Amino acid sequence: MELARPSKKTNGTGVQVEDTQICVVMVGLPARGKSLIAQKAQRYLRWLSIDAKVFNVGNYRRNDTPHPSAEFFDTSNAEGERMRRAAAVAAVNDMLKWFREGGLIGILDATNSTKERRRWIKDEMDKHGIETLYVESKCDDEDLIMSNILEVKTTSPDYVGQDPEEAAQDFRNRIRNYEKVYETIDEDENDMTYLKIMDVGKQVIINQIQDYLQSRVVYYLMNLHIKPRSIWLSRHGESEYNLGGQIGGDADLSPRGQEYAALLPALVRKSVGDDRPLTVWTSTLKRTIQTARHLPKNYNQLQWKALDELDSGLCDGMTYAEIKEQYPEDFAARDDDKYNYRYRGGESYRDVVIRLEPIIMELERSEDILIVTHQAVLRCIYAYFMKKDQRSSPWLNVPLHTLIKLTPRAYGTIENLTSSGISAVSTWRGQGSVAKHEDPPNGASSLGTAGDGGVA
Amino acid sequence: MDTLLTAEIAANSPRYRRRSSTFIDGVHDLPNENSSPMAPAQLYSTMSGRLFHSGRIAIVLVGLPARGKTHVSVSLCRYLQWLGVKTRVFHLGDYRRATMGPGVDVPDDYFFINASAASVMIRQKILKKCREDIYAWLNHENGQVAIYDAVNPLVNGRRSLAKEFAKHDVQTLFLESYVTDDKILQENARSVKISSPDFVGMDPDEAAQLYLKRIDMKIPYFETMSEPDLNYVKMINAGERISYNNVSFGYLSHRIVFYLMNLHIKSRHTFFARAGTSSQQDSYKLDAHLSHEGADYAKKMADTLLAHREAVRDDLIADGGSDSPLKPLTVWTSTRKRTVETAEYLEARGFKVRQRSQMSQLNPGVCEKLSENAIRRLFPDEVSLHEKDPYHHRYPRAESYHDLAVRLEPIILELEREQNDLLIIAHESVLRVLYGYLMACDAMSIPTLKFPRNEIIEIIPASYQNEAKRTIIPGVAEKIIPGSPEDIRIPVPSSGFVSPLSGMGTPAMNSGLGTPAEPNQNIAMSGQTSPLSKDAAVEPEKLKSNLSVRKPENPLSRD
Repeated sequence: MELARPSKKTNGTGVQVEDTQICVVMVGLPARGKSLIAQKAQRYLRWLSIDAKVFNVGNYRRNDTPHPSAEFFDTSNAEGERMRRAAAVAAVNDMLKWFREGGLIGILDATNSTKERRRWIKDEMDKHGIETLYVESKCDDEDLIMSNILEVKTTSPDYVGQDPEEAAQDFRNRIRNYEKVYETIDEDENDMTYLKIMDVGKQVIINQIQDYLQSRVVYYLMNLHIKPRSIWLSRHGESEYNLGGQIGGDADLSPRGQEYAALLPALVRKSVGDDRPLTVWTSTLKRTIQTARHLPKNYNQLQWKALDELDSGLCDGMTYAEIKEQYPEDFAARDDDKYNYRYRGGESYRDVVIRLEPIIMELERSEDILIVTHQAVLRCIYAYFMKKDQRSSPWLNVPLHTLIKLTPRAYGTIENLTSSGISAVSTWRGQGSVAKHEDPPNGASSLGTAGDGGVA
Repeated sequence: MDTLLTAEIAANSPRYRRRSSTFIDGVHDLPNENSSPMAPAQLYSTMSGRLFHSGRIAIVLVGLPARGKTHVSVSLCRYLQWLGVKTRVFHLGDYRRATMGPGVDVPDDYFFINASAASVMIRQKILKKCREDIYAWLNHENGQVAIYDAVNPLVNGRRSLAKEFAKHDVQTLFLESYVTDDKILQENARSVKISSPDFVGMDPDEAAQLYLKRIDMKIPYFETMSEPDLNYVKMINAGERISYNNVSFGYLSHRIVFYLMNLHIKSRHTFFARAGTSSQQDSYKLDAHLSHEGADYAKKMADTLLAHREAVRDDLIADGGSDSPLKPLTVWTSTRKRTVETAEYLEARGFKVRQRSQMSQLNPGVCEKLSENAIRRLFPDEVSLHEKDPYHHRYPRAESYHDLAVRLEPIILELEREQNDLLIIAHESVLRVLYGYLMACDAMSIPTLKFPRNEIIEIIPASYQNEAKRTIIPGVAEKIIPGSPEDIRIPVPSSGFVSPLSGMGTPAMNSGLGTPAEPNQNIAMSGQTSPLSKDAAVEPEKLKSNLSVRKPENPLSRD
């Protein structure tokens, strides 16, 4: 999954991140949610076009020892100790290689439970001018640990095909072996940059933050919560512009679009399953506000400029055929690299993601939100939750007149689509295809089946 | 706004009706609330006026003098106000000075645990007045956050304070600034405190030592925070380490911690400059290249700025200041071609240039390239809406200033974090909003700020209110000085303010040593005249003269 890099060709120079490279080192006993934090951070950063990658030491160790027993993790087991050390060295070496190739934030996912190990990592990184940020998750809440253990025993590759009860027991023994040598981050390590989260955020220590990028990562991690919740997404109903194949604009809903707006409250109530009110976020454009206008009065509604459709600049209000005729080079350049292509006087998908960042931060900390917005914006939000890469996300087919429900879970997000049954024109267009909206072929993208408008 | 006439004059004037904790500036003195329904970057509004699903919060500072408490309170207040949280700072020191009278210091045992009955009485009286103002703000003036800037040295005192606030249905978040690094203490003491006559003629280092020793004598009992039952954020050594305990009001407290992570106390200047001009046909959507004239401007601007920085340094050395090398200069531009190309000259000379896509100009929407007459003819309804609220109103397909401020919000934190001097080259609309943040301008005045192309504006951090200065770029062609061609050509209600440094007339000097600027003159936009003449209590002339002979305060009477 390569990140698309901006270039002159796509009419944009992109946004430059500071020239810092950071090794984020996870610290903590097993079953403290380290991998979850690492995965979420990676997803968030990559979505922001900050090249990030998780290096899971367990995966390196599994190459040699696919199904180790708890004794393997006993520190008095010299052979186990040697092999685990070798796995850490291999992971760090790969990470350094990846940094040399231009990686920005490498995340070392392992217990890193001793001061000696942490110091070694810092020394290795220092040699290459790479910053280290330690993130310790320290938790003594038995319930939370147990629920994590249950998750691990059913999902960890270490226990594939084993009896779940035995697996859980073995895993508890493994944790006990780590506990024997575990050293929490303390004053001895005050020269290091670290974030120490105790008891799921009840107490937090942030030490020696070096730059803005680090503070951003730390802030994001502070905002994560683990309460179950869902997010509902919908495009606006079919608009007058959609009918004519024009992009952008600020058109009213078509008659069918209005039908969808009238049906939306029932669709939402059915999907939510009870009467609890949602908070509704729309863009500032007429078509999303009109789509949300029949929702119940007790739904709080907020309009965000940041949810407005991708600005197509000079091409605003044109059809694809007109764009291809008047700006053939631009049309081709956009097809070539849709994520980075910036419309003349307008925006690229990359720009949209950057302006959506505060929305994502709000979403991470909120519960029960319904967002009514536009195709390009939805693609970006969807890409964040579903971990879609930049090459394919701008081509996603987000169907009109469909309610999407996303439920984030520990290791991925569950999606549910409810179609309203009201038909609409397609506003989807495939890469390298003719310059007009078309019906997407079956399986054109993972999201839904019908396509449509906005800035496709 | 002249910052120096603040506390003493206002507090000690019997005829002066105090609006806030005695300071009159953008941070401390909010404009008439009804005229300013939303703050620059406020995301939404609620019926109660309280945001982020939080109730009323008292942020209580903890820390000895010279720990940067005032800097933290004022900066945090500015940021929260910007986010739309109704926030006000209450500096207990102001109340102390107001109660004691001019030039009178508190009794020597004022801070002692076993203080005399008389001292305890004074203490109670001062505290009572300050608390009354805090409750008035939270209960009757629709305030959401009160920042209480005082020493609060003892565990018992803090516990009872939290209890007292809880009784009034106010949550308490303590914010301690704790310093173990002598270098930081010395630096703080030197920079803020030793203007006192007590230290005249002394070696600055010695004076700082003496000052710090006096604090220790004056306030011998101080317990750093470790109460497990209280909500607190502890900043150690000006942000080197931040820890928090039990902080339970979600978003707002995380936001505060994020802000504190980026806040630093190093003094750094921010410069604002316009981008060069492009061809006459330029429009927002075209995003044209610089013209020859524009490139010429870029060079003149850069040369002027570099010469200015050198000159200031030379002056400083001549005045006996340190001859340390100039702070590095970083340049930020938007991703628009004109701003990027304006920075090319500096980039070629080795300065670090960074592009920020959030910094592109206000989108003019349908108003692009329309004359004022045309806009009035085509959109009469929009024009009347715009004139009612030029900050929040957006023309069809356009962005409002409010939209722009929200878009720029992440930039604000990067701005706080940046340790190098910073030159921001951007469209006038972006400069207005960023200036509005740094100078704590009222939202309504932001659209009227003017940045003539032949001026570089410099923001210098100061503890109560930042200062702004201007440097003239010589030889800039007259015709490219005024507003940008692709600005929305619909005027906001006429204001009479010509530049962000209004009230100064046309400056004649090319010097960085001008008078401190008066941005908050613009508060007058909210329907009043000038904040100073509000109650006609003090004649402006008199204030001016007071300014220059302002009696330095006893450093120990500050907290």
